[in-house]
Formats: sequence, C-alpha cells, structure tokens
Amino acid sequence: MSDKEIIIRIAGAAGDGVQSAGLMMAKVFSRNGLHASTYNYYQSIIRGGQSWYQIRASSDKVKSQGDGLDILVTLNKDGIERHTNPEINEGGASSLNGIAIYDKALTGFKQFSGNVKYCPVPLAEIGQKYSKNPLLKNTVALGALCGHISVDFEILADIIRDQFGGKGEIVEQNVNAAKEGYDYFVNTYGRSEKKLQYKKESKYLLAGGDSAGLGAVRAGLKAFFGYPMTPASSFLHFLAQHSKSLDVFVKVTEDEISAINMAIGANYAGVRAMTGTSGGGFALMTEAVGMSGMMEVPLVVYEAQRAGPSTGLPTKTEQGDLLQMLGASQGDFPKVILAPRNVEEAYYMMSDALNIADEYQLPVLFLTDLYLAEHYETVDKLETDFEIKRGKIAKEGMENYRRYEFTEDGVSFRAIPGTPGLMHNEDSDEHDERGDVVSDAVTDPYVRKLAMEKRMKKIEEYIKSIPPTPTYLIKDAESVIIQWGSTQGPVEEAVDILRNKGLKVGVIEMTHLYPMNKDIAELVKGKKHVIFVENNYTGQLRRLVMSEFGISSELIVKYDGESFYPQKLSEEIEAILRR
Amino acid sequence: MTTLSDFKGNVKPDWCPGCGNFAQLTTISAALAELGIDPKDTAVVSGIGCSSNLPEYIKAYGFHGIHGRLLPVATAIKWVNPKLTVIGYGGDGDGFNEGTQHFFHAARRNTDITYIVSDNQIFGLTTGQASPTSEIGMKTKTTPDGNLETPLDPMTFALTAGATFVARGFSGDVKHLQGLIKRGIQHKGFSFIDVFSPCVTFNKTNTYEFFRSRVYKLDESGHDPKNFTQAYEKAREWGDKIPIGVLYEIEASRYEERDPVLKTPLIDHPTMKITPEILKEFT
Repeated sequence: MSDKEIIIRIAGAAGDGVQSAGLMMAKVFSRNGLHASTYNYYQSIIRGGQSWYQIRASSDKVKSQGDGLDILVTLNKDGIERHTNPEINEGGASSLNGIAIYDKALTGFKQFSGNVKYCPVPLAEIGQKYSKNPLLKNTVALGALCGHISVDFEILADIIRDQFGGKGEIVEQNVNAAKEGYDYFVNTYGRSEKKLQYKKESKYLLAGGDSAGLGAVRAGLKAFFGYPMTPASSFLHFLAQHSKSLDVFVKVTEDEISAINMAIGANYAGVRAMTGTSGGGFALMTEAVGMSGMMEVPLVVYEAQRAGPSTGLPTKTEQGDLLQMLGASQGDFPKVILAPRNVEEAYYMMSDALNIADEYQLPVLFLTDLYLAEHYETVDKLETDFEIKRGKIAKEGMENYRRYEFTEDGVSFRAIPGTPGLMHNEDSDEHDERGDVVSDAVTDPYVRKLAMEKRMKKIEEYIKSIPPTPTYLIKDAESVIIQWGSTQGPVEEAVDILRNKGLKVGVIEMTHLYPMNKDIAELVKGKKHVIFVENNYTGQLRRLVMSEFGISSELIVKYDGESFYPQKLSEEIEAILRR
Repeated sequence: MTTLSDFKGNVKPDWCPGCGNFAQLTTISAALAELGIDPKDTAVVSGIGCSSNLPEYIKAYGFHGIHGRLLPVATAIKWVNPKLTVIGYGGDGDGFNEGTQHFFHAARRNTDITYIVSDNQIFGLTTGQASPTSEIGMKTKTTPDGNLETPLDPMTFALTAGATFVARGFSGDVKHLQGLIKRGIQHKGFSFIDVFSPCVTFNKTNTYEFFRSRVYKLDESGHDPKNFTQAYEKAREWGDKIPIGVLYEIEASRYEERDPVLKTPLIDHPTMKITPEILKEFT
C-alpha cells in the first residue's frame, strides 16, 4: 500500500463508542486535507454484539471502504481475534496486515504474528487518571493512533473540543488523556513509516443522509414528515437536529401512512414538503404515492433501502427495493425514480428531485441505501446556489381556470388554497379538467381516456430533461458494467484493478432509473459483455433494463448485507470477461 | 360577508334522496357563511365513502383523498396555512376503521381543525356492510346472522384521545346541527362532531324515527361541558335516551403553538439559503 492511503478499523461492542470514535478519526483526516470514506458495520442492538467502524483516507478521492487493513484499534477482546485472523471474513472485509492497538489488560487471545504487530497500550489505566468514565479509553486510543500516524495533536484536540462542547472539565480530561496516549505510543512504538500527505485545509465530511437533507433545504424544503426506520433515520435525524437552524418543520407521525399523507397535504397547501422511510415503511405509503400521481400533487419520498424481505437485516445494506418502488401503487401514473451514487451527488440530486416534483406535479422517489445513507465521505466543494422552480402555479384573476386543463405538456396550473376565485376540487377519483369526478353518477370513458393521457404525457415531457447517463472509462471499453446507487465506488475501483491488468472494461452508472434515458441502448452497443453489478438477489435493475431495451447481459450480485469489496468484485468480473 | 349560496358547488350531490348527508352539506355551508368565512379561505378534506364526496358539492378548496386518511392531510394543510378554515369530513367507516389511528393522534395534537363524521352506522358506498359503529346483531351483507362486534363509541374515544371539543349532532335537527358546527369551527383546537346521519337505503334500524324518539339536547338538561367526568358519563349514555349537543369543550394549547418553527405559518417562511457559513458545521 502506498504512502497516499491508509485504512483504519475501530472495533468494539455496541455501546463502546465505536461509531463516535470512528467519526472523530474521519474528521482527523478531513481536517488534514485528506479524502476519507467511512464504513459502519453494526447490528440492531444497543449494547453488546460486535461492531466496527472503518476509515479509509487518501490524498486521492476515496471511492469505497477498500481492501486491506493497516491499523486496528480494538476496544474489546473479541475484536482482536476477529480482525487479525485471516480465516474470518466479514462479508469480504480484509483482516489486519499492520499494527493492532488495544488495551494492555486484554490478554489470552490467539495471535497471528506473521502479519500483525501487537501494540498494547494502557488505555484504561491512562483514562482512569483523568476520569472514571470508561469511555475515556477511546480518547486515549485515538491519541495513540494519531501519534502513530504523525497527526498534529492540536487538530485532534480541536475535534475533541467540538465533540464535547467547547470547554470545561470533560473536554480537558479528554484532551489530556488523548495527549498522554499520543505520547505513550510515540515513545513506546515510534511513528509509522508511512508518510501521509497532510495539507492545511479542511474538507466537508458528510453522510448521505446529511447531504440529501442539505440538498433538500437548498431547494426550499419547508416540512418533513417521517417515522423512524433504519437506515432512513439518518435523514430524519439530520433534519430534526437542524429544524430551527435550517428552518424546516419536522414531524414524526403516528405511522408512515400519516407521514406521506401529511407531506401531500403540505405540498397541496403550498410549501415544499416531503417524507422518508425504508422499504417496510414505503410499503405502507404506496397507496398515497398513487394519490399524488392521480391528484397531481408534487411529492418527494426519500427511501433508504436495507436488506429485506420483511424486517430483514435492519442495519445492513441492499438494493432490493427498486421493483417495489417501480410498482408502488395501483394503476398507471407518471412517477420518477432517482438514485444518487455517492454523498456529493445525493446533495445535488435531492435539490433536483424537489424541482422535478413541482415542475411535473408528480411523485419523485429518491432511492438510496444504507451504505450511502450512513457512511461518511469527504466532499471538496458544495455549490450553494440553486434555482428553485415551482412550476405552474395559478394566480388570482386567471380566467376559465381548470385545475387539470388538458395542456400540450400535460402539466396544468395548480391553485394554492387561499387564492381568490380559483376554488376547485382535487380528487383521487378520476376527474375532468375542472377536477369534477367522472366516475360516480355517470362514468365518462371519453374524458377518462383524455385524463389518463394528460397525466402520462408529463412523463414523455420529463424524459427530454434527463441528463446523459454518466459513465466511467467507457470510451475504449470492450465490455461494460452497469451499476446503480452506492456500488459506484467499489465498481470503479474493481475496474481500475482490471484496467491495470490490461482488460478494457468501463462502467455505465445509472442514476435515473425510471423513466430511463434512452442512451443506455446506445452505450451498450457492440460491447462484448454487459455485466450488471447489484446488491440484491435477482438483479432488479437488470430485469428492468432488459424489459426496456431487450439487452442480453450477465449478472453479479451480493446479498449478504454487505457492500461490494473492489478486489473480490474484480475477480468475479474478470471471470466473466475471460469466458 | 358571505352567504349560503357562495358555498354552492358546481356539481349536484348524487346521494340517495333523504340521505342525512344533505343536511350536513347545508349546515356546514350555512355555518361557514354565518361566520363570514370566504370560500377561498376554506379547505374541505375528505376520505372515501358516500359522505366523503362532499368536497365535490361545496365551493371551496376541496381535497377528496383516500380512504381513512383525511386527518393527516387536513392537519398538514392547517400547519402550512392557519389562515384557512379546515374542515375534515368523512364517514364512520372511513374514520373509525382505517382512520382510527389518525383520529386518535389528530385529537391529541389539538390542531385547530374541525372533524365532522357523518355516522350512519353502515358502509353505504360499498352497498351495505357492517361498519365499526353498527349495532350488535345488525344484519348486513357481511353479517347475515347479525353483527358480532361491539360498536366503537366515537364519543368516549375522542374524549380519551384528548379532543378539546367533542359534540354529537343529528341530521334530523338542522338548526341544532348548524349551531354545533358553527361552535366547532369557532373552537380553537381539534373539534370533533359525530352526526347521526341515517342511511335511508342500507340501515333500516337507525332511522330518522329511531333517533327522533331518543335524542335529547344537553344544553337543555344542565350539562356542564367543562366537566370531563360528566362528559364521559354522557358519552356512555345509549338506549331509550341519547344525548346530543356539546359533551365537552375546553381550551388547551395547540400543536402549532408549541412547535418553534410552526409559530410562523409555514407558507410565510422565507426560503432558507444554504451558505458557506452554514456548511462550515460539516467540516
């Protein structure tokens, strides 16, 4: 591994403070001008179990959690063996080839001295000098780690100050404990020979839920209605914690059905509002998705997929909800499904999603997954300017107003309640241009047909605005991989590995899943192999693309709840390429 | 000033002749007119059922949504724009089956909306099946040997949930009903009015005559609507004598007064600009 990059893993039981220590470490890198990406391996448990947090940092953009492991910090005994034993493989994660930092008191575990340098540190003993709080040993460990990789101690001290609220006794205890850990490690084991290229600059460090939340606020989001469900909660928590500072009303409702109906009600009443959930909650919302489609009330739904079916693996990632989203609600109606590939894209795409919903007056389903929603990534720059497009909103004095006027592009003017003179009814029953029902006293097949065509026209109009499908190294590619969502990073890295071996392979990265950009058919033309890579069992996007374009293809899937790892994935792709 | 005719919709109601819903359409419109409320400032939100067709027949901002979900929609509309008078209107099937959960939570939020239920104790639009308020033993298409479930009592339910205005009316007494609806709209908080609304086609038990011979008015019988225990006792009264009128009315703070962001109507909030200063938090 080069001097450019490092992979660190912090392991412990739930309740040990693994996540917060890991995030602090990621900040150490982002505030040293390095790129970083984190990976949170945890279970649906509040205390106990075994969790770990991986941070990969580099001078280059970090695309995934990566292969390999340079430093292990373990807060319990189980963690030492689990991450040093080459026989144990957590969904593809590498075992340690480097140094292990752990409390001196931990003994009696199986050692693997070939690849591991054991560096016990009196973590608890040092911690107890400053406070009785057992979590202080984490701070000591962070100090030791930073000493080893030659981080300026003041940067760590600042992060500790931010974490524990500025000043006071607790901050002092933590800073002093970290310093002692730092010095202890340097004096006992010395500094790493790896010289990471630190810079005096800071990068943004955000999880997908955060960046999507910021993107929504940037586009004028005023209300969010939700119900807690992992992994959609990171989005909910972000907005709830920033409700006052970012001026968004956040309401946790009695159930997901209420949440989506409230979001529709709020949009109808004139402000940008949305809801969010994971697959199970979305199943409850589906009827109202169709209502948004029928009544033409703008709506954005944030959906973070976790491994299903049913309760499934609540804290594990998967891409198994695409066909549920596609099929959501009875009948044919226009809807849009967008899937960002990374944290940065989630920011921009969420802003766009709110515009699309308003401009075309339809439901936009924003599809992400646990991996993207919960892992942190550095971002260099975030464009803050954005043009909010509210679409056709009727103004007072409009003559012969018809809410559902049959227009050229299918989009008609919506009148916000309170507008003088434009009172009308919006109906989930089939209705005519005025909004009057055509299904009750007398069914009117003629108007029904026109009303259906009016709504569906909007999707034909929308298709024209879909940007070209993003690609990676496709120009000279003989074979091509098609991916969507958070697998972008590992897929691109797998392609890098294959390119180094001289294999000409590229990637088509689908962000607009429904409706699709017709350029897909062009992009795959003449390619020897078309390989879908998906985090699910049946290859849901492959089925959809095949039905749209009749492309024959191959499929690599992973459904163990973990994301892809580049090396292993490259081997699977290579096996197909060499057929 | 507004008049009854200002609320007259373009579409003629398709309810059965004699349906209790007619009286409610008239009394809701008349109460709004009497209060001087402009149709443009009125949102009428419904679910699915015979009664839920009402937004088509009244001139206002109508929202005819899906079965059982009118209260979340109505609540959100009020939170966005409190200048609107928001009326939720639906049937017993809509509100006390699929909508039960929303009913309970809307009541405890005490948002300033008026929820009127046209309670005919039967499913009408789906041609006569037992509803949650159908009496025990009632024979319907789905209960050929008689209904086996104890009816849900909307009055005690609303009181338990924390509704701050709980009343019962009767479509056979238009003047009294109009007064109740007017009072419900004026009440600052969640107002619930359950209206005995005979279904002349499918419910042969709970007819106009059935109610006419049983109902008596609470305001003529010394009832104190501020007394929760008395209200609860009156809510339980059922048999030869059935009370109508305001069972309970108190003043309490509303959700929209408690939330710091909602204190300013959402519709009046300026757009939040994301700035580099805001983004600093995320380095």
